[in-house]
Amino acid sequence: MMELLRLCGYEAQEIESELPRVKKAFNKLGITAQDIERAKQRLNKYYGVELKGVRKILRLCIQELVNWTLAKEEGKTKFIYSFMATGFFDTIAYAVLSKSKEVYVGSLNSLHHTVLGSIFEKIVPILEAAEKRWLKAGAVAHCGNVKTTVGLIALDVIPKPDLLVNSGVLCETAPKTIDLLHELYGIPPFCYDTCQDRDIREYPEATKRIADLLLKSSRRLTRRIEEIVGFEITDDMVREADEARRQLGKAIDAVQNLVSGSDPLVISANHQSLWTQLLFLPMGKDRLPEALDAINTLYEELQERVNNGVGVVEKGAPRIVAILPSHYTDPSLDYMVGEMGMALVSTDMSFPISDVGDLKDSYEKLSVDGVQTSIHNSLARRVTSITEGCKKLKVDGVMDRFHIGCRTVTADALMIKDAITKELGIPVLLVERDDFDPRVCNHQQYQKSLEVFRAMLTGSRQNK
Amino acid sequence: MQEERLIAHLRDRPAQLKEAKRQGVKVIGYFPGNYVPEEIIWASGAAPICLACGGSSEMAEAALSVVPHVICPFARAQIGERLLKKDPYYTMIDMLVAPITCQHLRKVSEIWEYNDDIEMFKLGIPHKYNGDFELEYYADRLVVLKDKLQAFTGNAITDGKISEAIELYNRMRGLLRKISLLRRAPDSLFGALDFVKLNHASFYADPVFMVDFLDSVYQELREKPPVSKGDAPRLLLLGPNMGYGDYKVLELVEAAGGEIVIEELCEGVRYYWQDIENKGDLFQSLARGYLADRLPCAFMRDATKTRFDFALKLAKDFNVSGIIWYELLNCETYDSESYFFAQKMGERDIPMLILESSYGTADTGPLKTRIDAFIEIVKGGVAQ
Repeated sequence: MMELLRLCGYEAQEIESELPRVKKAFNKLGITAQDIERAKQRLNKYYGVELKGVRKILRLCIQELVNWTLAKEEGKTKFIYSFMATGFFDTIAYAVLSKSKEVYVGSLNSLHHTVLGSIFEKIVPILEAAEKRWLKAGAVAHCGNVKTTVGLIALDVIPKPDLLVNSGVLCETAPKTIDLLHELYGIPPFCYDTCQDRDIREYPEATKRIADLLLKSSRRLTRRIEEIVGFEITDDMVREADEARRQLGKAIDAVQNLVSGSDPLVISANHQSLWTQLLFLPMGKDRLPEALDAINTLYEELQERVNNGVGVVEKGAPRIVAILPSHYTDPSLDYMVGEMGMALVSTDMSFPISDVGDLKDSYEKLSVDGVQTSIHNSLARRVTSITEGCKKLKVDGVMDRFHIGCRTVTADALMIKDAITKELGIPVLLVERDDFDPRVCNHQQYQKSLEVFRAMLTGSRQNK
Repeated sequence: MQEERLIAHLRDRPAQLKEAKRQGVKVIGYFPGNYVPEEIIWASGAAPICLACGGSSEMAEAALSVVPHVICPFARAQIGERLLKKDPYYTMIDMLVAPITCQHLRKVSEIWEYNDDIEMFKLGIPHKYNGDFELEYYADRLVVLKDKLQAFTGNAITDGKISEAIELYNRMRGLLRKISLLRRAPDSLFGALDFVKLNHASFYADPVFMVDFLDSVYQELREKPPVSKGDAPRLLLLGPNMGYGDYKVLELVEAAGGEIVIEELCEGVRYYWQDIENKGDLFQSLARGYLADRLPCAFMRDATKTRFDFALKLAKDFNVSGIIWYELLNCETYDSESYFFAQKMGERDIPMLILESSYGTADTGPLKTRIDAFIEIVKGGVAQ
């Protein structure tokens, strides 16, 4: 246990003081000595634990998982969670956590995916718990993220929330899930929403229209949260929270940009979901400096690698972009890309569509942000964004992976491949998987696909 | 005799529409789900056609060149129909009104849009169906649709024309409702297969003809003496969607000796259960009637309880002794809801059979076995 905590950036004194809490939380989560051994192996293999910045992020994750697991017995009286919600929720969470010590506000399931899934390889029992309820396994392809929420609540490993929030911006299966959790477990639901009815010829006016609907819905959410927490959440509080979180967002972008431009690639691609994790950690203003310190430390260390020409793949390795973020619970998949000699430099999540211009009001900004990442846009707009992003990063190929649990992104996969092939003439590898469920991928087949893809990239380069 | 009239009308309908197009009439297609007010299309002088073909594995499989397998077979069929161009309605439409309902149908419209081969209007359907500013959003989009149709057809859409259209479609809804309610009687003359086909016919037929036809059917049914169905168990059919041509389950239930007496599907009671108010601000009225006042689909927010209570009321009013839940493969919201319904119906000793179809021919054997067994269970009065 102590070695694990050291790997995750805990200092000796902190280990001594925190050990009883960590043990208590791990017991509650069913983490055994065997799991801890496995976690150490996984950390050493898949994560750059030699980097202080990585260790600091891991520490924040473990700390918060412990806080969350023990929140009720340690005196928190109100619990508000979200899952599959836009960044607006995390901003409100920041505002609430900055003001109150009694309320716990957190976004499911990013933290649990990272710690229980990626580090401990223990996400499957949670998924199975959901499958025993209504999210059956098999051809229907229910989303692993939705399963995690149901599993965590069904297994009672997190305190039962007073409000479960979701934004239906991307899907309707998540809102349906909180509705069913309400009916079956008595958990009050709230969904803030918009309509994804943008016509490609209507941009950017249509973005303003649907963001405005999301804004009204977001204000309704604020009022609902005020009822739970018992104090007013003013526009000033939201603005301060937004500004603070944007600082963190910019620091994360800086790391991502540094990595995207590096040759040799300075850190393996599975870390992308780790540093993005910082945006979803329950965090008020007391913890923001720690998060900023962690990401800035990582930036400095990676910059040093760039300066010294140190990387995790060979210099000049084929550069690829992936569609969708790195796997949330199985770091081996993106790690393997590097092992096969390819530099996965970025994902389409880093290709923002910014066509609305500068906005002053935080609610407006957050509402526009909530509908402007690649996956929030219609196929036609997404294709343009992805092809432009690929050109800018001068990549040799695209790994078009699609999360079968999500109809929104899955439906686009073949057309994206078609468009990239026609417009850019570079190889595209299609990978079908569930981004949250490590079982929905045959690692041997995946490895073979990567071998073939690597050969295609080499051939394509030689033909240029 | 009545049936022949309808068959002849539907047979001649594509040719009629082609002739109308030659004379400048626009044909406007829309996807089903009951969120596109036909009244606005009709008031523009265009012919509304609901594109609802389903049940064909050929069409669903044709779409696999464009979308992966986890998109539901009905949505895939809408892509397949456009690709293979076998059905005349899918090729003759001048414009598509695409309601943004579930993610599957949303993606169909985006793929049609991406191929850029037809004029399109995406009609946003707020999933918070009973919210105030969501209703306002939908009403605003209906007004934009009106403006678009005016420009597209060159015809002014006045309040008078909208009112006439509401009157016409209220008559259609009213007649479908009256015919459907006849099935509350113990010995009904009209089976589910006939009723669903009749409802489907209204998607394609000229609405003036259809109103006249439905009126004749209703008069005829009222005058005929009832025919005893013996011990056939009365069943309620629930689920997301039953496309035009997707009749396998209805046929299997009928063959097994069951009698579906009411359907709550996208193509069921939701459309005809209530009229649209024909006074005041007509666009507000259409918005309320098509969104807020209508039974929500399973993908709408906070819809489960409302939907369950409604299903329970139908079960009681129509005196059913069992429920058949028919969903399409990969329809994740209805699949989730089916668990809740089965559990809660079970607590009330109402057996429920959950069926799933991929439109494949391999489905038929297992479906038949399960339906046969279920009918026997319901006949025997044993809870599943």
